[in-house]
Amino acid sequence: MAYVAIKGGGQAIEGSKAVLEYLRTRQGARARPLQADTIENQLRLLHGRVLSEGGVYHPRLASLAIKQAQGDSLEASFILRAYRSTVPRLAETELLDSRKMRITRRISSAFKDIPGGQMLGATTDYHLRLMRMELLNESPEQFRAISGEWFKNLNVDEIPDTFPKVLEQLRKDGLLAPLDEQRGQQSPFDITREPLIFPVSRSAALATMARGEQGSLLAIAYSNMRGYGDVHPTVAELRVGYLPVLLPHPITGQPMEVGEVELTECEVVAMYEADGEGGKPLFTLGYGACFGHNEVKAISMAILDRSLQNGIQHGPRNPSEDPEFVLLHVDGIESMGFCTHYKMPHYVTFQSDMDRLRATQAKQ
Amino acid sequence: MSRLPREQWVSALSAVPEQSLARLAESFPRSWKVTPKALPQSGLGMLKLRETTLGDAFYLGEFPLATCWLRVTTEQGESAEGCALVMDDRVERAERMALCDAVLAAQLPGWEKVAALIEEGIELRAQRSRERKAILARTRVDFSLLDDVGDEDA
Repeated sequence: MAYVAIKGGGQAIEGSKAVLEYLRTRQGARARPLQADTIENQLRLLHGRVLSEGGVYHPRLASLAIKQAQGDSLEASFILRAYRSTVPRLAETELLDSRKMRITRRISSAFKDIPGGQMLGATTDYHLRLMRMELLNESPEQFRAISGEWFKNLNVDEIPDTFPKVLEQLRKDGLLAPLDEQRGQQSPFDITREPLIFPVSRSAALATMARGEQGSLLAIAYSNMRGYGDVHPTVAELRVGYLPVLLPHPITGQPMEVGEVELTECEVVAMYEADGEGGKPLFTLGYGACFGHNEVKAISMAILDRSLQNGIQHGPRNPSEDPEFVLLHVDGIESMGFCTHYKMPHYVTFQSDMDRLRATQAKQ
Repeated sequence: MSRLPREQWVSALSAVPEQSLARLAESFPRSWKVTPKALPQSGLGMLKLRETTLGDAFYLGEFPLATCWLRVTTEQGESAEGCALVMDDRVERAERMALCDAVLAAQLPGWEKVAALIEEGIELRAQRSRERKAILARTRVDFSLLDDVGDEDA
């Protein structure tokens, strides 16, 4: 048994690439190629998903990846992540503070009256899932008129630039453990440079989930919600907005804003627990955050953060509390790679399987 | 001079159209000597975030980053350093911003044009901020109305 050289594979692969291009462009004479800006704005949520799962906040290249992958979010994230592996790391920010976010949406399911108020921003939460047939024949004029009229008669003077965190009030009331300033000084684990070797730190878990695949995170978090776990979360705060990214100015040394990233962040309050040292029982917490506007992902991550902390503290009692199970199965690019590799030729190994089966049959 | 501190000039310039920035950078005399203080580069920055439940630091992900640090010397011998770090992968954009940074910081000839472009950027940033605040203003939840009809409807 040996490897076999196949004649003509190269031509077939080139042909396959050409077919992909043909299918992308076959719409007809009136078709226009998708522009990066169009993808970023009109496929905003898909775009955010690719930014987050690709692990690089590069809006223009995320749009290109979506176009190139013809809308396959896993493939697009793969392209974006492949890009990041080809460029050098130049800098690392100081510890950024999400209280500085320029908010576009902020809700709480724990309290109705939160400091600064609740603002729904852009959400489909209260929509009927009925087809809007009028969008099938939307004219360019109708399309442009919507944003053109949007700012009329709106007074925004009373809206602050930033908002306090809901958790701060719970902390003041003694229902949460005080924030430990020292914890933020520890160097985080860099999943882009080091392999995950268990047990891993919480920073490794958060970084892995932050670029994890939305569906995978949701599926494992859902198992916890349905009964294979007992997080029972309440969303203390879910916020979407833009976080200024700061680096030191090389000449003055003062922080300068190099840009901003859109971010979704979720803090969940879970079951209360005593600290085991005779202290007062306190609520436990879970945290989720990701690039772009992706609430299902941020909530799922916050639930899994809490369940993983439970598993680390008490020993895992179900899959969602097991760090190895969760963190090794939520990366979309890794899991897609393993799945799609089964399409590659396995002629030799399968030949071996057949030989063994025939040998076994012959013995009977 | 700009009313913004130096650390916010790049942010304001990031808001203006690329063509305006390019036109401004090309308007400075070609006889000026521009030398790099550090190699202009494009690559990635890593975003380190403090999560807000327990206070742990973690890496949220990366972002494109272009950097430039240069020294510019005019024909009259005036000299200044300028730099720019910008969330972008185009080195030439960082170079243009670094040149503007040097010109404005040392008030080299043409600094008024840089200040004016930064003013334009400030206004564009303010427009973006107003747009975001409008999103909040239009969607603020009025719970007091729910109180009027009783808790059962809340």
